Amino acid sequence: MIQVEHISKEFVSPKKYPGLKGAIKGLFSNEKVRKTAVDDISFHISEGEIVGYIGSNGAGKSTTIKMMTGILTPTSGQCLINGIDPSKNRMENAQNIGVVFGQRTQLWWDLPLSESFTILKEIYNVSDEDYKDRMDFLNEVLDLPEFFDRPVRTLSLGQRMRADLGAALIHNPKVLYLDEPTIGLDIVVKDKIRDAIRQINEQYRTTVILTTHDIGDIEELCSRIIIIDEGKKIYDGGLAELKDTYGTSRRVTMEVRQPELFRKIDWEEKLHADESSIETELDDEKNLFSVSFDKNRIQVSDIISSVMQISDVRDIQIQETELSEIVKAIYRHALKGR
Amino acid sequence: MNKIKRYGRLYRVLVSQFLKTILQSKVDFFIGLIGFFFTQIMGIAFLYLVFEQIPDLQGWTLDQLIFIYGFAQIPRGIDHLFTDNIWMVSWWMVIDGDFDRYMLRPMNVFFQVICEKLQPDALGELLVGFALLILSISKGVVAFHAADVLLFLVSMIAGAVIYTSVKLFFASIAFWVKQSGPFLQVAYDMANFAKYPTEIYSRAVRFLITWVIPFAFVAYLPAGYFLGQRSAFATIGAECVIAVVFWIIAYSFFQYGTRKYESAGN
Amino acid sequence: MKKFLRTYLPFASNELKRNMAYKGAFYLFTLCSLFGSFIQYYLWMAIYGSAQGAKLGSLTREEMVVYVFMSYVTSSLTMISVSRELGRDVVKGSVAMNLIKPIDYRLSLIAKGMGTVVYHFLIPGIFVWIGLELYKVFILHLPAVSAGNILWYLISVFFSFLIYVLFDFCFGMIAFFTTYIFGMQMAKDALLSFLTGQLIPLSFFPGIIQRLFDFLPFSSMVYTPVMIYLGRYRPSELCFVLGRQLVWVVLLYLLGSLLWKQVTKRLVVLGG
Repeated sequence: MIQVEHISKEFVSPKKYPGLKGAIKGLFSNEKVRKTAVDDISFHISEGEIVGYIGSNGAGKSTTIKMMTGILTPTSGQCLINGIDPSKNRMENAQNIGVVFGQRTQLWWDLPLSESFTILKEIYNVSDEDYKDRMDFLNEVLDLPEFFDRPVRTLSLGQRMRADLGAALIHNPKVLYLDEPTIGLDIVVKDKIRDAIRQINEQYRTTVILTTHDIGDIEELCSRIIIIDEGKKIYDGGLAELKDTYGTSRRVTMEVRQPELFRKIDWEEKLHADESSIETELDDEKNLFSVSFDKNRIQVSDIISSVMQISDVRDIQIQETELSEIVKAIYRHALKGR
Repeated sequence: MNKIKRYGRLYRVLVSQFLKTILQSKVDFFIGLIGFFFTQIMGIAFLYLVFEQIPDLQGWTLDQLIFIYGFAQIPRGIDHLFTDNIWMVSWWMVIDGDFDRYMLRPMNVFFQVICEKLQPDALGELLVGFALLILSISKGVVAFHAADVLLFLVSMIAGAVIYTSVKLFFASIAFWVKQSGPFLQVAYDMANFAKYPTEIYSRAVRFLITWVIPFAFVAYLPAGYFLGQRSAFATIGAECVIAVVFWIIAYSFFQYGTRKYESAGN
Repeated sequence: MKKFLRTYLPFASNELKRNMAYKGAFYLFTLCSLFGSFIQYYLWMAIYGSAQGAKLGSLTREEMVVYVFMSYVTSSLTMISVSRELGRDVVKGSVAMNLIKPIDYRLSLIAKGMGTVVYHFLIPGIFVWIGLELYKVFILHLPAVSAGNILWYLISVFFSFLIYVLFDFCFGMIAFFTTYIFGMQMAKDALLSFLTGQLIPLSFFPGIIQRLFDFLPFSSMVYTPVMIYLGRYRPSELCFVLGRQLVWVVLLYLLGSLLWKQVTKRLVVLGG
């Protein structure tokens, strides 16, 4: 459905100088600043997939989406959406896609929502029967009737988001792009939006690509994620594999009877571990002793048995790394080179 | 043919929605109309005062000058009425990234730009234009034959196309520099030169408004035909050629610009 | 006085800095207002070419050249719109915010206007002025303007600026009654270009209308300072026109205070 082949986007802007003198200098100088926002990214997405496209602010997510939707023309490389190159056949591609930008509405601000839908029906040339079918479905999953006659500017953010999502789907697009669809929404509305996306995907086999900073969106919707950083793709695969690859650290916390016995033990030596591959922590007041480690290097059973040799253990808890921790690490560029 | 029908229908739908929102404030509509009416009528008052002192202006009578002045208003008004949204592109839409939405819809981008807004203020200019025109005809300054009505319509449309082309060209610079409002303003203001016979200007100015920013073709030259001074072919024919050429240049530049569009947020 | 300056000077200097921060293209924008002057210049040259006498509306051809460009410089220094900002503040509802602050709202607008005056004096005022004087001396072979005339001109320009901003402040209160200020501005600019002498020297008007202009503030905005620059007034007349400007400053100040009081009273009652 979607083939992205080695696309790059470079932005060129004139160099700016500060102050009045700088403004005059800027008039005559021809110096340019180049910035590569997307750097040689390739991926394929099949029909019916929901793919999370994530990365920190300024990583190049929006730029990629904008190239796939036809807003931007790639500097090099090409993408084919359902066999169409958006930069060459913008209008044909536009007929096949639906787009929602969380930060910006595509609806007519001063008109009642119903009028926006009427206009969109004309723009996308939707037949009366198709329109009715779609509206029945959208009304059901998005509860549009409750605010269908109100001007868009009077809608709450959650209502507007539902309206925008509906508007992007009126022409039954094959691909749906969602740029931060749940930004600024409360938990109930978020759930509603996620449900709707899932239902649309199941019912119409709509391919969905979403960018988000919300881990919940990813965990609940995406089977696959693509991570980019500084314009380069750094991960492309399933959510489970991501956790396996990057989320290998575990933390085991034990409630022990005699915490004072744990004070002077060299755990690295005891567990035959490399330097700094484990970290220990002792909480005297709550009698808690915890060890963070990499599960590929040390077995959790070794740790527990060593601990039990020293003291009785009342309770054991093992924590996985949360996805949000992994993503945070990626955003901090902590996983570079791994 | 089907495509034209579809776009015609779309235009009706989009514009009628827009009209609904502006008709809500009739006072604003009236104020805008008055504003542009006054701006243009002051030039006429100026001519009247000056002609108190002189019999003619380099051979032109007051009546003839008033005809040229009025004639210039109509293409200006037509363009102003239909394509005012081009100003928004040059000032804000490119820099704010609002242009994105035009790129997302399966319609011609230029078409979307112009059908987003009708500017009723333009009626002030059209009012001045038609009033002066009727005055000129009633005074017998110009004699209209049946065929002239057609030529007049052609000339008005070609003139409006020249205006639109100049606006579109300078607005398109925004795709490179983000905001091209100042450039567009300068180019648009050149049209004020064209309200008077171009012979009064120095050769450099005349060249500029004839061949670089061709506003001389909008009013002064075609008015020459209706004043019975020159042939239709040399005036309105030339105007049409210029309109077509400049439209092609401006539209190609705009199309090329949309490929350079960088959106916002980088 | 010192405290007054300390309070309001930052408004002026910030406005100046804000203007300065605009990129190159915006200088072009300022310069394009000069176009109008060039159109006028060519028109007048054609008009004088067609005239029988040497003087039109009591001005010679050379004086008209000076008039055209000095009325441009003068209006760029005096006709600084404060109603635009007032209108914006009314629409955004931030006038009420300004009523809370311990400053005089009108004075802060005027101080900002002063910042723009300085900016316009630099770009492009001073260049046009010098260019004009060079043209006068080297091409037209006329004597340069005397220092005395420059001094009186600058004083008159300062009064003109005050008359205009105080008038415009009153005008801006229309924003409390309509939202489409753009249209009103267009109409006002068009009328003022005529009534102030920006478009055509007031001496071109029939005598009876000129008499009427003596009783309106508009001639004091552009026509008076330019005629002073041209040295058209005898000392006694000079005192009279400057005095008349001063009277208008006072009258418009009082009118503005009165209107502002009425309007803000309404604002407080209605809320907003």
